[in-house]
Amino acid sequence: MRNIRLNVNGEDHEVEVDPRRLLVHVVREEVGLTGTHVGCLTGDCGACTVMVDDRSVKSCSVLAAGADGACVRTIEYLGTEEDLDPVQQAFLDEFAFQCGYCLPGMLLTVRELLDAEPDPDDAAILQAISGNLCRCTGYGPIVRAVRAAVRSTRGGEGS
Amino acid sequence: MNTSVPSKGTGRVGEAAKKRDGKALLTGGARYVDDVRLPGTLYAAVVRSTVAHARIRRVHTEEALSLPGVELVLTGERARELTEPIPYFIDPVVRGARRVDIHCLESERVVFVGQPVAAVVADTWEGAQRAARLVRVDYDVLPHVLDAEQAMSDDAPRVYEEWADNVVLSKSYGTGDPDGALSSADVVVTGSFRSERTTTAPIEPRGFLARWDAREETLTMHGSCQNPHQLRWMLSTTLGIPENRVRVITEKVGGSFGLKMQGQPEETLVALLSVLTGSPVKWIEDRRESFLAGSRQQVHRFTVGARSDGRIVALVNEIVADAGAMTAQAGWAMPNMSATTFPSGYRIPDCRIDLSIVATNKPPLSAARGFGKDSAHLVMERVVDLVARRLGLDPALVRERNFISSDEFPYRTSTGLNIDSGDFHGLLDKATKSLDYEGWRARQAKARGAGEHIGLGLALELTPESSDSPGSFVSGFDTTTVRMSVTGSVTVLTGVTSPGGGNDTGIAQIVATELGIPLEWVRVVQGDTDQCPNGFGNFSGRSMVVGGGSAALASRDVLRTLTTVGARMLGVERVEVREGAVVDPEGSDSVPVPDVARAVLTRSFEIASEVEPILESTRAYKPGNIDHRPDEHGRIQPYPTYSSCLHATAVRVDAETGKVEIADYAMAHDCGTMINPALVEGQAWGAVVMGLGAALSERLVFDEAGHTVSDRFKSYLLPRASDVPMIRMEHQVTPSPFTMHGNKGAGEAGVGGAQAAIANAVEDALSPLGVLVDRLPLSPPTVLELIRRAKEGRM
Ligand code: FES
Ligand code: FES
Repeated sequence: MRNIRLNVNGEDHEVEVDPRRLLVHVVREEVGLTGTHVGCLTGDCGACTVMVDDRSVKSCSVLAAGADGACVRTIEYLGTEEDLDPVQQAFLDEFAFQCGYCLPGMLLTVRELLDAEPDPDDAAILQAISGNLCRCTGYGPIVRAVRAAVRSTRGGEGS
Repeated sequence: MNTSVPSKGTGRVGEAAKKRDGKALLTGGARYVDDVRLPGTLYAAVVRSTVAHARIRRVHTEEALSLPGVELVLTGERARELTEPIPYFIDPVVRGARRVDIHCLESERVVFVGQPVAAVVADTWEGAQRAARLVRVDYDVLPHVLDAEQAMSDDAPRVYEEWADNVVLSKSYGTGDPDGALSSADVVVTGSFRSERTTTAPIEPRGFLARWDAREETLTMHGSCQNPHQLRWMLSTTLGIPENRVRVITEKVGGSFGLKMQGQPEETLVALLSVLTGSPVKWIEDRRESFLAGSRQQVHRFTVGARSDGRIVALVNEIVADAGAMTAQAGWAMPNMSATTFPSGYRIPDCRIDLSIVATNKPPLSAARGFGKDSAHLVMERVVDLVARRLGLDPALVRERNFISSDEFPYRTSTGLNIDSGDFHGLLDKATKSLDYEGWRARQAKARGAGEHIGLGLALELTPESSDSPGSFVSGFDTTTVRMSVTGSVTVLTGVTSPGGGNDTGIAQIVATELGIPLEWVRVVQGDTDQCPNGFGNFSGRSMVVGGGSAALASRDVLRTLTTVGARMLGVERVEVREGAVVDPEGSDSVPVPDVARAVLTRSFEIASEVEPILESTRAYKPGNIDHRPDEHGRIQPYPTYSSCLHATAVRVDAETGKVEIADYAMAHDCGTMINPALVEGQAWGAVVMGLGAALSERLVFDEAGHTVSDRFKSYLLPRASDVPMIRMEHQVTPSPFTMHGNKGAGEAGVGGAQAAIANAVEDALSPLGVLVDRLPLSPPTVLELIRRAKEGRM
């Protein structure tokens, strides 16, 4: 066992972990944030996506010990029910999810994309979300939502 | 349990109200089963058979038990002493099929790789996994068979030694004289089609958390499941716990598509483990386990006869469906629906469909979106295209000539289905316009000149929905309670559940519309057997038909009391309820609904006298058109409604690499009245893409020993965002005369039509090379193989 420090969504946590324990399990079990999901544990589905030091990461593919000292952001950080992030709002408006299980990966990778490139083309959108599997929506509504988020951000800048 | 309270806004029937649980899902606040935390929870792992067929000689538990933190290792032998066999969701005997007893753990003989043989419980998830690997099982290996056609031969190994052969069900459907009609046809086309095994693969796997309370003698089961009431009954039956001491709570479900219908061994198992340890026990399926579930795998051999004008006069089709091993879940029965869905929406009175459902030593089928109907569409639409090709007619024209026309409904098909309504010609028109079919034909001709391969594919999909099966828990009705409180807020408790599609939103829209109140006054509770009336959950596109219908009936009862008392308060004869107020339609007087509710519930010996002081009603809704009395041909009619849609696609095929690129995709969809068009569209879109996966990339691969080789997303290829087109969706509304709102089931249509449209389009693209598409998925190697075969055939 060893002690690690994580800053999760702005809060410091010190946790004792087995060196083999995955970051996703620490986030869900020790930190108690269950918005991050487990879909495969093989790095393929993206449901476990979190931001580690501002980069999207599949937290099932990272040992918690390896993230010692890191700054972790999860889906819970993105926005609240009262104050949704524009990406979340666009997903709501465009019916870009059904069961919602894939949302951690979808929302965080789209947010990351828009932070880096406020006006991405469709190819960039598809590339950004292609690391995440969604079995419900067929992806089209998600692409539509990202386009809407781009529009709303641009509209917001103008006002 | 799932509750939802809406975001503000309009939400009458027919409007695209936002998903009620949307904000919770978007912010990570929704609770799925793995998110439920109970103090003292232990973790279970299942030890599974590593051989396809064997007698179990001995299970060694000592090593696993010696690990620190391990509480229990349960063997099949012990489990068998403690539990009854799992009751079938659809009883094979009632359907004229063979059955075997299915136990939560197998103690004597395993019949597929992955079958549960033992279970361990430990204080951590990792500990349980480790211990499960230490349980050793000695097997006396028996010969196995993995292919359904081989399994039908006389000398094939028996999957179940007590059966005379491996056939689960053999049955013929159809009426008329197909052989006679074939002999007088202008052309006769024969062919075959083979589909591979696929799986549902929701992103959240199955999972349960059971808590046995020894003092109260109650069992609470939190689950990711579709059918909480059936699960309660099943747990009561297998564990011998009175049903009124079992509570099933459905948590937020992360997709299901049939996989989470009840009847799987782990349900009983996890509950039993909690009873035995006296602690809450959680089991979450891992992805490899989830890949054990099969969705479909069939071989069809067909003969179709047509007149030279394209009219199809007869169809004979032989289906061999690979069921894998038997299951108590509904999955084994899916191929039966493949048979009865023929000849889809085409007027072919002379049909014979011979079905054999065959057991093999593969894992069982598990119910899957499409429920067998998809396989019928795939083959029927291939048949229509083959007729067109033989006659040199455009496939659109041949469809037009054979569609049942809209003035013929209700129309009884040769296999017995009574199609309620529809307009298939209208759908074809909409879809081909939306695709620019003519334009693509021109582009195709031009491309052919340049040696490029563009192909067009059409497919009709007729989806029988909201099924009923007598004596089973496949129920054609459901039940809802609508309860208004003294403050006017409304709680809706319904027997139907939502695995993500959002029927809670649709039901709330119906209740708000019926009661004339704002949507945000309505809260919907689903999936909790202690709160909701007896119901049947989610399957067969039933939720809005019967959940919506029963919610409307119950709302009307409440409305009657409200308007009676409201009219008295206003001193008028007749009132209406609008936007949360009881109003006098003649004048300007009104009284808020909450005031009326308070009057009903607190002034029952005064202004509300002679009115039964209750603002609550529980009603069941039975749609029309279901009839289980066999007609003179022995046909029954288990479906009230038939949704329909027409797919039109254009593909480009690279004959060098075998890659299929979907250049355009349009779908015209008709599920009658849409309660919430955005939710309908979402379902249809998802179903199409699931079908595209089966058409192009998804395939469960087994090695010769019967192990699933494609047991992760790296080898079982779900469509990703960059693989799929933006779909253009058109709507047509032909209301069902047999349901309360005129709606038909939605959510399944898409899976079968997409497979068919792609198969047809790829063949059309490669027709100059003489390619015949007779299998799926059309992965690049398969496409290249089909091209090679065509070339060889020509030499
Ligand atoms: S759970 Fe991490 S990628 Fe699937
Ligand atoms: S919404 Fe269900 S997996 Fe994406």
